[in-house]
Amino acid sequence: MTALNGILKDRVLLIFLTSLVLTVFVPDLFGSYWAIVALNLMMWVSLTQSWTLFSGMTGYISLGHVVFYGIGAYVVASTFKVLPLWVSIPLGGVVAGVLALLVAIPVLRVRGPYFVILTFGLAELVKYIVLNVETSIGKSSRLLFGAPTIETLLYIMIGLAVIATLMTKLVSQSRFGRGLSAIRDDEITAETVGVPVVKYKITAFTLSAVIPGMVGGVIALKSTYFEVLQVFNPVISFTVVTMAIIGGSGDVRGPFMGAAFLLLLSELFWATIPQIYMILVGLFLIVFVVFAPNGIAAILWPARSRDSQ
Amino acid sequence: MKKIVSLFTLLVSAFGVFAAQAADPVRIGYSIANTGLFAQAAPSQVTAYELWAKQVNDAGGLDVAGERRPVELVWYDDESDPAKSAQIYEKLISDDNVDLLLAPWGTPHHLNVAGVVERHGFPMIGNTAASVAVREVQPGNIWFPTSAIPDRIGVELAAMAAKAGVTSVAIIANVLPFSQENLQFLVPALESVGIEVALNESYPPDISDMTGLLTQIKAANVDGVIALSYPADSFLYMGQSQEIGIDAPFQFLLVGPTISAFSQAFGELADGVVTLGHWSPHQANWSRAKPFFDAYVEAYDMKPDYLDTALAYMSCEILQQAVAKAGLDHDKLRSAISSSTFDTINGDVKFDGVENSITPTAFLQLQGGDMHLVWPENIATAAYKAR
Repeated sequence: MTALNGILKDRVLLIFLTSLVLTVFVPDLFGSYWAIVALNLMMWVSLTQSWTLFSGMTGYISLGHVVFYGIGAYVVASTFKVLPLWVSIPLGGVVAGVLALLVAIPVLRVRGPYFVILTFGLAELVKYIVLNVETSIGKSSRLLFGAPTIETLLYIMIGLAVIATLMTKLVSQSRFGRGLSAIRDDEITAETVGVPVVKYKITAFTLSAVIPGMVGGVIALKSTYFEVLQVFNPVISFTVVTMAIIGGSGDVRGPFMGAAFLLLLSELFWATIPQIYMILVGLFLIVFVVFAPNGIAAILWPARSRDSQ
Repeated sequence: MKKIVSLFTLLVSAFGVFAAQAADPVRIGYSIANTGLFAQAAPSQVTAYELWAKQVNDAGGLDVAGERRPVELVWYDDESDPAKSAQIYEKLISDDNVDLLLAPWGTPHHLNVAGVVERHGFPMIGNTAASVAVREVQPGNIWFPTSAIPDRIGVELAAMAAKAGVTSVAIIANVLPFSQENLQFLVPALESVGIEVALNESYPPDISDMTGLLTQIKAANVDGVIALSYPADSFLYMGQSQEIGIDAPFQFLLVGPTISAFSQAFGELADGVVTLGHWSPHQANWSRAKPFFDAYVEAYDMKPDYLDTALAYMSCEILQQAVAKAGLDHDKLRSAISSSTFDTINGDVKFDGVENSITPTAFLQLQGGDMHLVWPENIATAAYKAR
């Protein structure tokens, strides 16, 4: 209840949530291309928020977030026209959560650069397992014709973005979230003062996997095509981390700002000078890491970001 | 009198060209893998599009159901990302409002875009896509002129290898979908004709060193090597297989040797390599084949890619003939593409559902720096020669 009051009192957050919800009007106002741009924005907001829930709060930088997205896409693609979508999309989230829970115990034993490399390796491992399974059953790709319209998928994605934002906010304001922050600041001290470190890390890791699992399923439906290398593409993980760094991962507004900033940059430049776009992303990444490590959110709302940290 | 008639004809032609230039252009959109993993392959397709557009404009414009209009190409770089390609086609259709579409490069890109064209009911002739999955696509918005469908390739390649006297093969395959689909159908087909598969290994799409795999092939001591490769790894195979000393008489590379840079890079070393392709300028029965070849060489000072450039140009020819008949109306175009027989550089093409029902699955061989159709016999332009 206290956490809910915190959300209701946070005007900036309410403005963000309202703007997320207002994207439902994009298809009618701007047409189907911009509906897809809005869908992509919501996708990145959802993924970056869920990454922040674990990596932003604990300081454990995961480069394997795409594994949960990919596994959710795989669940939806492999059950397409077998299970109704209202079952298969949440099932994608559940399977991603279960996968996170299973791998959390060995993965979370390591820290720092070892954790970064291990999460990346885990995502690659799962990718090639799924690829081999698909190849062995003669399915190198799957077509998903008859998926819902872009408008319907946009509404689902907006819902996921709102849930991911609220989830991250609620966790950050809770005792659990403060425990995660304590782990980020000094894990040994946190454990010494009684923070249930292992339990908190596993819970946060599992929670952070559920939304990407559902997002992957929705994106597979948007593409109407499933191919393993595409949905387990490590660039998705890199993009999420980039968005979190540029937007800021110490605050729930950060992922939104990071996703919106990079998407805006992309829309401005990809059509005309795509090579410049990638150079700009690299430059911004360096600038933010060196001069503004807490991201855009910390520049726009310094006091709030500090408080939330 | 003769001079007056000639002058009159010239004036009418000039007026025709002027009128075409004055008319609104027909805007034709596509995405291309200008950067990224497939950047090496994409120029084969773009050069065909650009040559076709130039030829059409030089001839007075595109015949749109009787009216001549100039062609304007609108394209974006999809960075070799199939999802990006789908987004680009969404933009081309709903934001740029193009009149017609040409296809992106590669099977995953086509199948990503298939959902977009289906959603908008916008007809598009595909070209460089080949998968058994294309048969799952609802006929009506996308068609595939290729005859290089993996289930047929498997059967035909096994038959050709058997006829060439191959008794055992080593297979290496890229993990990308087209290679894996071919692998799936090829292995049982080889076994059914009594060819032993002594080695069967897959490798990642961004492989930069094949020596480990090639050493295994060398040790297997087979008389046939089948590399189900993409362009970049075909180049890698050809270079490194020379260093390792692989001398199997039958060597097949899936995609890549048809690019002119391949024979330029390896010269005589690549002689005898067999590859996928169903077009050759040497096939005299296809009257448009040689003029296209000559025009291409004149325009770019190199030979066309016998697979991708030929397919891309064919897709333009099909679109051109359909537009001449039906105009730009999507329903009429759809009907014309589905029901007509088209005269292309690869002979007649007619669609049964989404597939080309006339062109046979075929293979090319590099012979003396040139490419010849060697399989099947009814369209062969030269006999197969062991390496």
